[in-house]
Amino acid sequence: MDSYREIIDRIEALARQRGLSFDPVYFRLTDSDEIAEVASMGLPNRFIHWHWGGAYKELVVQQNKELFSILELVLNTKPSHAFLRRANTYLQNVLVIAHVFGHVDFFRNNHWFAKSNKNMLNEAERHARQIRKYEGVHGREKVETLLDALLTVAGTVNAFERNPTERRKRLMYYLEDKAPLESWEHHMMQMLREESEYFDLIQRTHIINEGWATFVEAELLRDILDTPSWASLSVQLSNRPAPYTIGYALFQRVKRERGFDAALEVRTYYEDIRLIDEMLTDEMVRRLDIFVYDPKEKQKSYDLQQVKEMLITQKLHKGEPHIEVESGSSPKELVLGHLEEDRKLDSKRVGLFLKSVHSLWRNPVRLRANGKVYTYDRRGLSTA
Amino acid sequence: MRIHRGHIAQHKHDQLLREYLKQHLNELIQQKELIIDGKVKTQIATLDLPTLKYGEDAPVLARGTGRGGKGGAGGSGQTGDEEIQVLGGLLGGDHHGREIKVELDFDEFVRLAQEVLLQEIELPVFREPSRSGEVQTDALPDLDDLDRIGLRPDLNLEETMLQSLLRNIRERGTAEYDVELAQDGWYFVEDPAAYENHRSLEVYVLDISGSMRGEYLALVRKTIFVLWYYLERRYPTNLRRYVVFQDVAEEKTRDEFFCVESSGGTHISAGFERAMELLHGVTEHDKFLFVFTDGETSSGDFDLAKRRYEEALSRFDMVCYGHVNPGGRGVGGFSEYVQDGARRYPNATFANLTDIEAIRKTMGEFLEFFARERSGGRRWTRIAKSSTASKR
Repeated sequence: MDSYREIIDRIEALARQRGLSFDPVYFRLTDSDEIAEVASMGLPNRFIHWHWGGAYKELVVQQNKELFSILELVLNTKPSHAFLRRANTYLQNVLVIAHVFGHVDFFRNNHWFAKSNKNMLNEAERHARQIRKYEGVHGREKVETLLDALLTVAGTVNAFERNPTERRKRLMYYLEDKAPLESWEHHMMQMLREESEYFDLIQRTHIINEGWATFVEAELLRDILDTPSWASLSVQLSNRPAPYTIGYALFQRVKRERGFDAALEVRTYYEDIRLIDEMLTDEMVRRLDIFVYDPKEKQKSYDLQQVKEMLITQKLHKGEPHIEVESGSSPKELVLGHLEEDRKLDSKRVGLFLKSVHSLWRNPVRLRANGKVYTYDRRGLSTA
Repeated sequence: MRIHRGHIAQHKHDQLLREYLKQHLNELIQQKELIIDGKVKTQIATLDLPTLKYGEDAPVLARGTGRGGKGGAGGSGQTGDEEIQVLGGLLGGDHHGREIKVELDFDEFVRLAQEVLLQEIELPVFREPSRSGEVQTDALPDLDDLDRIGLRPDLNLEETMLQSLLRNIRERGTAEYDVELAQDGWYFVEDPAAYENHRSLEVYVLDISGSMRGEYLALVRKTIFVLWYYLERRYPTNLRRYVVFQDVAEEKTRDEFFCVESSGGTHISAGFERAMELLHGVTEHDKFLFVFTDGETSSGDFDLAKRRYEEALSRFDMVCYGHVNPGGRGVGGFSEYVQDGARRYPNATFANLTDIEAIRKTMGEFLEFFARERSGGRRWTRIAKSSTASKR
């Protein structure tokens, strides 16, 4: 790390000069394997689950074939932890360091992140130990089956939602409140919910967070790099994955039209939906080549309104079908509804999903979707 | 010391995958097209968390990749052959909840299938100790001729690249320098003759006349996978050629061999002829011929097939004939002739492949050759008659 100390200090000083602020950052030089491990699990010391194993394996294969590699990784904790890949070139790691200062500034200053759990590294460790203890008491298979079911419904959390009535419509919260679970199972559910909210927040601010980090990276390195390196960086920035380039384009527009201080304000008060809704333009949609694609008709549409709506829907429900707990639910029966009636669910998954929910609810579960009512009870799946 | 949580999680994932394979091996192995683009494709629901997803036809948010077709930015319209990138997962953030479609590399599928099969058939499994690089097994035969670890400084890079190119053409039909050291890196600037003598040529000949499907295919593929397990550990390289025949015989790539269409009559002689043509210019020391057929050769081919079989016996070090017989019927036709021949010729084996148990017996017999060789006897001096002959 010694070879990077000077440049880290220089970039940090530049960032502070531009009005950025952050908690202490610990940089660590590590190998691709560890980065793939943390990226697949979300946190370095999280409980071990087979699902991360599949993602990890896929990442390692992609890295080995040089199809894709994760250049950097930073955790929303206090202090922040950032991983630099040893295999990166010096210049690549300089870009990463500047990018990381964008992220840690966002973690510290964005309004929505104010409520995030900065102690999640320790929490995750505590959870992992507790889950291992439960495995010892209740058996590994039982705990793993419960984890599978919990992870299946965990995506229904919403870290932004504070309204109790709206929260109760979300399956994870409803089950935590009402499902007839044993105390250890309930504890497992609480732990999983906490972790899921931590990741949910990251997902809901993915575009603004990556966009801001990329914007900061470009701004800071303009003062550090020579002209050819800066030109090459500019080309590289436009070739990054979608959240980076969309977010970057949005912040460039803010700075162009309202100045750098306005960009600082946007990073403080906005999240993805507001940023997209206010800042995405017809010109950007075309320049970034983003469209709504209809696989049936093989048609793509660059209509700004359609693209915006689709982006916002994806952000609202993380690209997953929007299901809610309906008011007809009772302790005897859980009733769920898929609210986007014009969109069909993959029917093969419905049975497996309801089976998971049933394993937590332990009473009949109904789902209104695809113009049918699916029921899962002791006898299995039936459709009406 | 760092705990490799990723490795542990992957181990758990692979255990589930193995469990799935165990339960569905027959189904998977019978897929007519086993390899598509170098992968064994299967949708394994249990390996993904069963979260709800939209049906495939729902509109999605996407982005042009700038590759293929015309278009890119601007205007609505047909996408034609332009590549697009669906943005759903990418906009979602971390990997949590992402769908994993299972597409196993063929080599990985074979490795997992071997693991399941060896356990099911109760055949000896070799374990590689982490440090010594030696291979151990508690059971006979004691095959420890494994030395594929490490890169030697005198590696003949040109020859290695060439061999890799040839292997990729043989396996996938693509001219790529995709070097796998274990397979291709066996060529040195000064190639010791001893190494050359330890390589194998394996010709796999498959009858693809009308009956070749379902359980028939499963038995053939299982036998081949188990054979590979031992042959890969016995030889530093395995030069594999693939032939299919019905009325005529033709060489195929590995991927084609595992995706063949069944059709036509059965001219076994054509299969033997094509296999022998492949011996031209071969320097490998041990030459194996594996023939898989139901033995029902077309009328008029019987005598010619006999002659070609005997010729093959004189040119290959070992000719293994698998009578694929999932129905367990009596052995007749050309197979009956070969069954009898296997009692007379020291380098001939006959296997009545009726079920998984028959594969076990076949392997026992096949491995006996190496055991005898190791115990100091001459190669191919087997006297005992085939243990798998006409048991059913």
